Amino acid sequence: MTNTLKPTGPSDSPEEREYEMRALISSIWTGGRLFIGIYTFMLASLVFSYFYLRSSNNGLLWRPNHVTGPRSFGLLVFGFSLTTSILAYVGRKRLVKGSFSDFNVAAWSGVVTGLLALLLQIIELSHLGFFPGSSGYASCFVGFGVMNIATLTISAYWLETTAARGLRIRRELPGDNPEFSSHPRARAFRADVAAMAYFQVFVALTGALLFAMFYLM
Amino acid sequence: MTISEERSTEVSGASSGHPHESRGLSWTQRPGILSQNVITALVFAVIGYVIGHWFGNYLSSGYTYIANSGQNSISNTLALAFGVLGWLGGIGALNYPVAKLFGVDGLEEESPVDNWTKYFRYSLDHKVVGLQYVVGVLLFMFTGGLLAMAVRAELLNPTTHLFSPDTYIKIVSEHGTIMMMMATSIIVGPLGNYFVPLMIGARRMAFPRIEALSFWIFTAGYMVIFSALPYGGFPTGWTGYAPLQTQSGPGMVSYLLGFAVIGLGMILAGFNQAVTIINYRAPGMTWSRVPIFVWSILATASLLTLATPVLFAGGLFGLLDKTVQTTFYVTEHGGSSYLWQNLFWFFGHPEVYIMALPGFGIAGEILPVFTRRPLFAYKVAAAGMIGVALLSFFVWQHHLFQSGINPDMRPLFMLTTELISIPTGFIFLVGMGTLYRAKIRLEIPMLFVLALFFNFLIGGVTGVFLSDVPVNVTVHGGFFVLSHFHYTIMGGLLFAFMAGLYYWLPKMTGKMMNKKIGKIHFWMMFVFFNLTFFPMFIIGLLGQPRRVFTYASNLQGLNDFSSVSAFILGLSFLVFFYNLVWSMWIKPEIAPPNPWESLGLEWQTASPVPAYNFERIPVIMTDPYRYSEPGAPDYADLGTSEPSAPSKHSLA
Repeated sequence: MTNTLKPTGPSDSPEEREYEMRALISSIWTGGRLFIGIYTFMLASLVFSYFYLRSSNNGLLWRPNHVTGPRSFGLLVFGFSLTTSILAYVGRKRLVKGSFSDFNVAAWSGVVTGLLALLLQIIELSHLGFFPGSSGYASCFVGFGVMNIATLTISAYWLETTAARGLRIRRELPGDNPEFSSHPRARAFRADVAAMAYFQVFVALTGALLFAMFYLM
Repeated sequence: MTISEERSTEVSGASSGHPHESRGLSWTQRPGILSQNVITALVFAVIGYVIGHWFGNYLSSGYTYIANSGQNSISNTLALAFGVLGWLGGIGALNYPVAKLFGVDGLEEESPVDNWTKYFRYSLDHKVVGLQYVVGVLLFMFTGGLLAMAVRAELLNPTTHLFSPDTYIKIVSEHGTIMMMMATSIIVGPLGNYFVPLMIGARRMAFPRIEALSFWIFTAGYMVIFSALPYGGFPTGWTGYAPLQTQSGPGMVSYLLGFAVIGLGMILAGFNQAVTIINYRAPGMTWSRVPIFVWSILATASLLTLATPVLFAGGLFGLLDKTVQTTFYVTEHGGSSYLWQNLFWFFGHPEVYIMALPGFGIAGEILPVFTRRPLFAYKVAAAGMIGVALLSFFVWQHHLFQSGINPDMRPLFMLTTELISIPTGFIFLVGMGTLYRAKIRLEIPMLFVLALFFNFLIGGVTGVFLSDVPVNVTVHGGFFVLSHFHYTIMGGLLFAFMAGLYYWLPKMTGKMMNKKIGKIHFWMMFVFFNLTFFPMFIIGLLGQPRRVFTYASNLQGLNDFSSVSAFILGLSFLVFFYNLVWSMWIKPEIAPPNPWESLGLEWQTASPVPAYNFERIPVIMTDPYRYSEPGAPDYADLGTSEPSAPSKHSLA
């Protein structure tokens, strides 16, 4: 029960094991998409708050003096985050084509850029040029910063754990390449890589939207 | 490579440095004091709390507004947050996420000792988690119920008071918050986790760790919300409206963080259940063969996963207002108190259906068993549940009829709110259609289901009244509304939960509940529930507002009647607890394998249910409710027939 890849019944037939394996892989697929749904609604709360306060403009305090978050930091955070997403996506494509080493390089590079984005986001949030409660925009910006820290952490964590798992599988299944192997662990790994890459694309798209909202609009 | 070869490769891999073997026992597996259990969780939670408090003080030492106010919300927040992390770390929930950083894709976390101590550990068995949830929600309900008794005691007299107005509103707030948070999990947690895999023929949940994590987060959230009382409470009611939210003391941090923590647990629980239902249904279980309870859990899970993130974000913004001085909900500084209302009710109204739908699922499951008839219009019931789930996202603004809504928008939200009564009515009619001309067996679960329909009819009809703007404006903020939602939530959900417990406890524990005490419990609960809450409709129409500790003296008679009834209603729960202790430990009666003669898959597997649920993966042969139908095939082929019998068992 604990190890998702162990037999779950006392007398599993190969047919049953295959059935459960397919259920596991489908679960990773469904779970990845549903997680994006969850995250979409959370980010939508921020977007709703942004436009609600902007249109309310209570006390003309939505954005006095058109104050903006530090653009250079914002650009760097978004740039590194986008790079992470692209690397994850490209890595997955290369894995599908059969090149585990390309995936490996892309994934670990993505981890580095993801961590850089995370670090810069934390620094940005602790070096704001305005007081968090000075306006509606300032409040939303702080909310955005905190949510972005969560997003970047999840993104980097998922990428790192996938990459680390790939290395371990490669080491523990000698002569059996994770990119082609029909071993259950390799199949689950590939499903996880696909879900992770899909999430990274989502992070890139929402990152672009939020960057435009907070730095350009 | 065939599956058999793969398995042999796994075995040989394991013996030659397989990661699961080479590391030996994990911390959750170790025996005795070295293991992780609820005690280590408590110790780690206290340590986390202290570290968080210190860290918060360290971070905020330079802020003058904190020095001037004498309250440090930053240290309060971090103390509670670190306490939650400590709790999760102490129970073992963080072992795997940390191990994953090193590429581990499997970790032995189940206790090697199969005895009662597993219920105090981080267990990945959905049946253990289900029973943990049973105890958890009963504890929630008990504390929330005690607070309700305090509320009714205060309202015995309009001039002689037990509490100050301030204390009274804080008791009301704590009662409401605890009950609402408990109610969101009361069926999905215990019965959903325990029975969904059994009812769909699965051997496990899709994500057992996420399932276990959801329970331990739920318990942490309970403690965080309860911590509001020693922090001085919060005066906002369960809805937490700003600007009172922003102005109130440190107890508000417990409310906001507690909501966020429990919200996270709800998201995880819904996520896991939805994925399990979609992917782990047994072969042959097409969507038209899924038990109605599973449909209700799927509809609920979709609401949990999509509506709760909005609450989570709303709570986060509130915490930022309290800690780093943002002004999301402060109108004078560019924020808006109505923003909280929008975010809160975008979650809050679907939450009503998060609570109601599983109750209807239980009713739909029990009705055919005790009428020996197929569920009337099964597909309509399933469609009704999905319809309710979808429409519930478009009604939240009716909670703002009296506050922050453009008056031109009122008719639209009046219409959407009235529309939702249509699929709800479908579900109700399905129940009535099943009962029509049926020979009903009045066992205790059935009694609770019949009471559910009676109560929900009153709650539902008054809900239609309340959706109309003129009525809403007239009775807003009064006891009429209070009575309405107690009729839907307590009269609907809690009665359904009791029906489910009486129905399924024999499967969960292998013991029958005592019938005589059970009937006393039912009649006490049903009669005094109605005697408690029906007068509140009249009290409300006569003008008594909610959350106020005094009232006009001419309403004392009705209030006293309601209070005394409430005390007896409270007593009925003690009868239930007494029955539970009596039937489980003092004089247990062994339950037959299928005491209600149900066709449900959960009753077909062995009792007690083995760790793997089903010896072979069952194959579903037909619809789930073919009661009293001559020649109907078995619902499922369990693959354990005699060798001489022709085997139909194939996963193809």
